[in-house]
Amino acid sequence: MRIAVCAPQVPFVRGGAEIFSERLVDELRKREHEVELVTVPFKWYPGERVLTQAFLWRLLDLEEADGAPIDLVIATKFPSYVIRHPNKIVWLLHQFRQAYELDRTELGQFDESAEGRALRRAVQRLDRVALGEARKLFATSANVADRLERSTGLPAEVLPHPPQELPYRCDEYGDFVLSVGRIDRAKRVELLIDALGADASLRCVVAGEGPERDRLERLARERRLNGRAIFAGGVSEQELADLYARCLAVYYAPVDEDFGMVPYEAFLAEKPVVTTTDAGGPLEVVGNRETGLVCDPTPTAVAQAFAWLRDHPDETRAYGRAGQRAAKQLTWDAAIDRLLA
Amino acid sequence: MKVAYYSPQPPERSGIADYSALLLPALAERIDVDVVGRRSRRQRRRADVSLYHIGNEPEAHGWIVEALRRRPGIVVLHDFVLHHLVAGMTLGRGDGGGYLDAMQREAGPVGRMLAHGVIDELLPPLWEDRAVEYPLAGEVLVSANGLIVHSAYVERLVRDSGYREPLWRIPHPAWPAPAEIASVELPEGRTIIGCYGHLNPAKRLPQLLEAFALLRRRVPEALLLLVGSLSPGLELEPVYDRLGLRPGDDVIRLDYVDEARLLSACEVCVNLRYPTMGETSGIVVRALSLGRPLLVSDVGWFAELPDEAALKVPVGEGEIPAIVDALELLLRDPALRRRMGDAARALAQGEHRLERVAEAYVAALEEAAGGVMVQDAVLGEMARAAAETGLAANGRALSDVAERLREVGPGR
Repeated sequence: MRIAVCAPQVPFVRGGAEIFSERLVDELRKREHEVELVTVPFKWYPGERVLTQAFLWRLLDLEEADGAPIDLVIATKFPSYVIRHPNKIVWLLHQFRQAYELDRTELGQFDESAEGRALRRAVQRLDRVALGEARKLFATSANVADRLERSTGLPAEVLPHPPQELPYRCDEYGDFVLSVGRIDRAKRVELLIDALGADASLRCVVAGEGPERDRLERLARERRLNGRAIFAGGVSEQELADLYARCLAVYYAPVDEDFGMVPYEAFLAEKPVVTTTDAGGPLEVVGNRETGLVCDPTPTAVAQAFAWLRDHPDETRAYGRAGQRAAKQLTWDAAIDRLLA
Repeated sequence: MKVAYYSPQPPERSGIADYSALLLPALAERIDVDVVGRRSRRQRRRADVSLYHIGNEPEAHGWIVEALRRRPGIVVLHDFVLHHLVAGMTLGRGDGGGYLDAMQREAGPVGRMLAHGVIDELLPPLWEDRAVEYPLAGEVLVSANGLIVHSAYVERLVRDSGYREPLWRIPHPAWPAPAEIASVELPEGRTIIGCYGHLNPAKRLPQLLEAFALLRRRVPEALLLLVGSLSPGLELEPVYDRLGLRPGDDVIRLDYVDEARLLSACEVCVNLRYPTMGETSGIVVRALSLGRPLLVSDVGWFAELPDEAALKVPVGEGEIPAIVDALELLLRDPALRRRMGDAARALAQGEHRLERVAEAYVAALEEAAGGVMVQDAVLGEMARAAAETGLAANGRALSDVAERLREVGPGR
């Protein structure tokens, strides 16, 4: 089959979504499909730009390329699924969350003016039409599927995907907590920094880049954490695998996250995950006292969770290994079989 | 966002007043609502959008149509056939010219001639039995920037009439089922079929009575309970005599019983209708909330009720035998009644859930209040990009762009 995988790109930003789409292309190619990744830059502000940029996808003609038909498009996240194609499948990473559950929160975008409110509704209408056209709808987690059904009435099959390929291993349960991912407000790395403030014996390494990095580094200095929080920036795959291999456990507590590959990555390195009760998607993966710890989203609770893991090495190892068993069940073979069925 | 809200209000006895009494508190939890009363008839504060509830009753809705004419806004169209309303607002106020104009707009010279015939008393009033042919909804639609309707049936009628402005289909909200319901004193050992509401020929009362008389031969324990005011000119006694029905034994008629009490006493709720003015039925929605199986006519909004909750009978040919068969089926099969009651309750708690309906209203009002600004902003940006690259706004190259925009959002 000739397949176009559609994904938006935010220039100079790379995260889980980008890794996912590239991997999907690779995996489809391995199965002898002719596959191309189609991307369009996306800027969602100010004002109506969220709509005009989304409409760019609608103007693309992917029914054929260079005279040959494209049999299938697989769209991933807003606004790539606005693409028009008779055989459109959506494997939804997330909708434009500012128009839904993040509205009227500090992570929201639309103001209270009549235009702001109508703009939000226009995004919702766009979703209903564009997602409603899909021949099949998959969501990467039950959290994403629930949000989709609540907001549009459209049901989606839950189809998680395996994490990125790294040379995963476990060398030790070391003396630091690892945070992996883009450093923005939604990922809530600040809570981890605050937890370090609550427990002077706790250390962490924050791997990743993002708009919040400078502020959080400043915050760590102000809190006089004295080098206990290390901001490693963007790291190579090898460096990331090393960090996973050596850490005590992994912190992953975004606000109502869609899915998040980080817990599965941690599990493949036999490391338990600490997350919070309001983290959304990760709660489908992290079982409290099974594959990690689920605690309240407070600095003290997070600090206590890591201290408990440090003080209970047998349980820490057991949770990590249980996570590894769960993560190994996620395979690209199974995912692609369902996707193309 | 501020909304100016025009509607009949309790204690006016109207289905739309009851509707607003149910909806308003849920709306007010979500947006700033300024309720404009019949007496004030004027908005107290500047609103982002005005919402007008319009039905077919001139006394209840005439002042709302006048307000709509002064300040166009979003209309909740509770009936599609508004002939009675328009006649009341024109002929009822001595404005024969207004009625002539309305009929001409609706049906051209023929309409004007018919209106003359009515004014000169050469023809019977059209609103009595030909209103469906001449609904006169155009009087309201022309001032409506957008419409809220309750059924696909009315949506289709509106679109077929040429209305092109935004339209939202929002189900009738359901009343919460009361925690405790006092019982109605009725003869014991009888299976009760309830028919509730203003009793007029459009409720198919003659057909229902005839069917019930036949049903009594097959199911002697059946009892028909008729509750509601009787339409002038509709006399039941001669019909009872002709059909051999004994009032007080086979048929009990009451002027008023609290709806919840009545419905809870019924095994089956009957709500037949023809012709339909495009209305929904508050009593049907109440029956859904209380988990009562329904028998309705297969017309208009009633036809859209799911088969799992409502049996439907045709109007006209075959109507009476179909009513008899449907009632017999329901009365003889308690398991079926239970299943249908469960489906009815699920429908009330799902599609008709008050919070869901209120959210849909807020979405529609937000789209209406700022939608044009969003549309202008989006199209403006597209047009600027086209102009900068030398594409004429009315050129063929842009027609494809416009078509794609229309498919997913603010195109025009």
